[in-house]
Amino acid sequence: MNANGLDLRIEGLTVIYGGVTALDAVSITVPSGGFVTVLGANGAGKTTLVRSITGLLYLHKGRVRRGSIVLGGESILGKKSPDIVSAGVAQVPEGRKLFPNLTVKENLLCGAASRSDISGIDESLEQNLELFPQLRPLLSQTAGLLSGGEQQMVAVGRALMSQPSLLICDELSLGLAPKIVHRLFELLTEINESRGTSILVIEQNASLALQHAADAYVLELGRVLIEGTADELRGNPMVQELYLGGGGEAHTSYAAIERPGHSRPLEHGQRPPAAES
Amino acid sequence: MTAVENPAPRQEEAQTYRPSTLQRFLPFIIAAAVPFILGSTTGDLNFWWKASITVVVLAVVARLAWKWTPRGELTHREDMRLWRTPSDRSWAALTMFGLLVLPFILASDFTPPMGFPWATWFAVVNLVLIFAMGAAAFNLLVGYSGQISLAHVAFLALGSIVGGIVGVQWSGGNMWYALPAAAVAGAVVGAISGLPALRLKHLYLLLATFGFHFVMMLVWREYLQEYFGFVGIRFKGENSPRIASWLHWLPGIDPDQNGEFVITGQFRWYWVLMPITVLSILFMVNVVRTREGRAFAAVRDRDVSASLLGINVARSKLFAFALSSAIVSMSGVLASFYIGSRGEDSFNVQTVLNYAIIIVVGGFSSIQGAIFGSAFFWFLPEWFKWAREELWFVRDIDFLSDYPSEIDLAIKGFLVVVILMFKPDGLAGLWRDFKSWFSRALARSNP
Amino acid sequence: MLLAFGNFTADPSVNLQLLIGGLALGAIYAVVALGFVLVYKSTDVLNLAHGEFLMLGAYFALTFLISENLNFFLGVFVLLLVMLAFGLLVHYGIMRRMVGQGFFAIVLITLGIATIIRALLLIFYGPTERARLDLLPQGSFEIGGATVRYVDIIIFGVVAACVLLFFVFFKYTRLGLHMRAVADDIEAAAAMGIDPDKVYAMTWAAAMVMAGVGGLLFGHVTGAIDRSIEAIGLRAFPAAVVGGLTSLGGSIVGGLVVGVIEQFANGHLGTKWREPVAFSVMFVVLLVRPTGLWGRKDLERV
Repeated sequence: MNANGLDLRIEGLTVIYGGVTALDAVSITVPSGGFVTVLGANGAGKTTLVRSITGLLYLHKGRVRRGSIVLGGESILGKKSPDIVSAGVAQVPEGRKLFPNLTVKENLLCGAASRSDISGIDESLEQNLELFPQLRPLLSQTAGLLSGGEQQMVAVGRALMSQPSLLICDELSLGLAPKIVHRLFELLTEINESRGTSILVIEQNASLALQHAADAYVLELGRVLIEGTADELRGNPMVQELYLGGGGEAHTSYAAIERPGHSRPLEHGQRPPAAES
Repeated sequence: MTAVENPAPRQEEAQTYRPSTLQRFLPFIIAAAVPFILGSTTGDLNFWWKASITVVVLAVVARLAWKWTPRGELTHREDMRLWRTPSDRSWAALTMFGLLVLPFILASDFTPPMGFPWATWFAVVNLVLIFAMGAAAFNLLVGYSGQISLAHVAFLALGSIVGGIVGVQWSGGNMWYALPAAAVAGAVVGAISGLPALRLKHLYLLLATFGFHFVMMLVWREYLQEYFGFVGIRFKGENSPRIASWLHWLPGIDPDQNGEFVITGQFRWYWVLMPITVLSILFMVNVVRTREGRAFAAVRDRDVSASLLGINVARSKLFAFALSSAIVSMSGVLASFYIGSRGEDSFNVQTVLNYAIIIVVGGFSSIQGAIFGSAFFWFLPEWFKWAREELWFVRDIDFLSDYPSEIDLAIKGFLVVVILMFKPDGLAGLWRDFKSWFSRALARSNP
Repeated sequence: MLLAFGNFTADPSVNLQLLIGGLALGAIYAVVALGFVLVYKSTDVLNLAHGEFLMLGAYFALTFLISENLNFFLGVFVLLLVMLAFGLLVHYGIMRRMVGQGFFAIVLITLGIATIIRALLLIFYGPTERARLDLLPQGSFEIGGATVRYVDIIIFGVVAACVLLFFVFFKYTRLGLHMRAVADDIEAAAAMGIDPDKVYAMTWAAAMVMAGVGGLLFGHVTGAIDRSIEAIGLRAFPAAVVGGLTSLGGSIVGGLVVGVIEQFANGHLGTKWREPVAFSVMFVVLLVRPTGLWGRKDLERV
């Protein structure tokens, strides 16, 4: 594959749903061929970020108020999703979002919807099956009947079918066994290194994401709270406390910890007042 | 106010507007005074005195009944009041005033300029009242409780059947027996027709209720053929409803030559239809505000979550069906007796469409909207007719005069589409916008 | 007894005639049901205006094939082209703005469209009824004492061909695949670069073309072409439901099943029983198996 990664520059992005601000002046940069992760809890605005990049906000009645999204020097803000996919952005949506009634093969082919080179599609399909050999016997299986791990592989494969310059993975680890998640992250790194595809990973599982990514951002309540290289973040005591659970485990309670910008910690069970994730 | 009704005053409550007793009764006093003022100019003082006193007594009784009605689960009562703000209350008073004065204006021999169709308006107003009642009940079911149903015309037919059996065959024109009978029959059949709702949703429920519509149409045709033949049921003439002789002492009831008081003519019908419609609509508005009504909304938004909250979803759905069907059946009885005859083709798919037009134009899921919608539905043809006959720039367009009813239909369909596309809350939404604009403008002018 | 039952007859030739009549009626239902299914499958819209679309098709067939007296194939081509344009108009003019609105609002807007079409047809064609179309072979032949019309066989063939065509289209073409993807999950489809807007427009166009075909065919078997033929839209509902609203093949089976049941109810019980029996069958199917005999099940997430 010859698609070189494109760089993504998001500057001062503010997104509202109705009257609720979901993202507030967020600036994130994915360098060409880079591997960036955005960490954050539920409701931090991660999914909104993905929707803004991929042009799907309108399906949720969201609206970009300010800011710019530039992919490889060209603004993709306000473009329709088919054009954005053609420009080189592919995504693995949160919760996989396979087409449940379509077969695995059909799902993969749908990923190539934006391509016009019919012959190249078969080639990509073959590449995918080399990447995920487990899928080969499942090709004519209905996607809705697969296991979670298999579904996630199909979802990643489907995204790769468009030969993206930028691959966005939203909550890859959600509901999957650690072993499978590890394997998927290794694959992402491989794709990143061998094909030069820029990768943006949105994650809750901070320890794993920080292992693989080069740069990282921590998003909270719609703002970028911390940014830096993955190593810097791993060393950051607040990140350790919040997202790495001290001992490197993810998903410990992040509540009851003093953070800048908040006069008091969130109480147990209290949701951050951001919009839907 | 009793102690039960007046909980310990809270901070914010102390600041809310509290009308004085005079203010509370002001609308009724005005309403009562107007006929008196009108009457004093026409000279028939005796009648107007009686009418005014009756209205005042009725108003006071209604107010007290309202005040002392047990509210059951109603907490946060400031929020749950029927007319929450002074502005709401003034609009309600104005509406009531208008409703009381309207028939006298319409019955007067006033002729507006440019041949504005005044005389035909009375019939239209009465039709609006009947349709508003049915459409509001339909909206209660479809809009508030989210149970998609196309069976409402089936219940109009049921109302006609009950009107035929109880009102014509058994009692020879006694609408007063037919109305409660129709309410009971409507509630029972409505609950039965709502049974599929326990299993089906959206599209499938819509189709199931539409199937019910056809079954009811079969029953209606069979009933007609069995007892009345193809001419249909006559609800007028000897079958017209009457006021019972023991009520003839009431003010405004002057028996005819034969000692009977037959409800005929637009003026008398108005005084029958208006209270029934107003009361049933107020009743529905009340239901929506109670625990039961909130359960409707919860079931509509997500019935699984509602059941987790402890709402009996099945009961709530069936109650919505029963309530709506009962009121639609009653409006079916009223329509039968008011229109005077019902035949084989009185109910068809176009009737279903008409109700859909009414609730869309008026404002989906708004009881107020049902009133706007039916007013619009019946007035549009009148205005259109007037415009064709009197307005010089419309009169000259032959095209419009050649196809009046078709263009009327096209306008309605076009409005349905446009309103759903651009203003989904319909005329009721426009009215809300106007009210908020008005109060903002008021606030701006005297800061 | 309030409801009078007709006589049951055991005469085989009468029953055969009813069966043939039922299959013919069922073929028509299948044409209409196919239109419903196309739209519902892809866009989740219950199109209550399909009967009116079909009426539009019948009237246009009248214009192009009888009044303008075009060559049959040219006329049909023009008819379908005009219907296709109307389908695009319906999507880009109206339905496009309704994506994401509530289910009932969309049902009501199709009723609004139905009203407009009905009114416009009345204005432009007038209320007078026209003779039915006679462009397809009009003869008939006898089989086992029952009459079979050529028209019915042609209708049956056309329906089968259409179902096959759509089946192949959905299964083996890229656009068909994309349409199925949008039907499954519109957001995921959009994320993959499929333009839902384009897919919906194609769907409406295809449904309109099917309505054109249906109007042309139904115009040959209806008593007369007038405004009452829109009722076929509602009468075909049981067929669509029994077959399953998401199944192309189901529409043909459902059409035939309901057509035969209706015709037998008509013959043995009386005409007035036709619709109630059909809708009762639909009702039972809804309660027992809401997605119809072949429809797919949709899972609901809380």
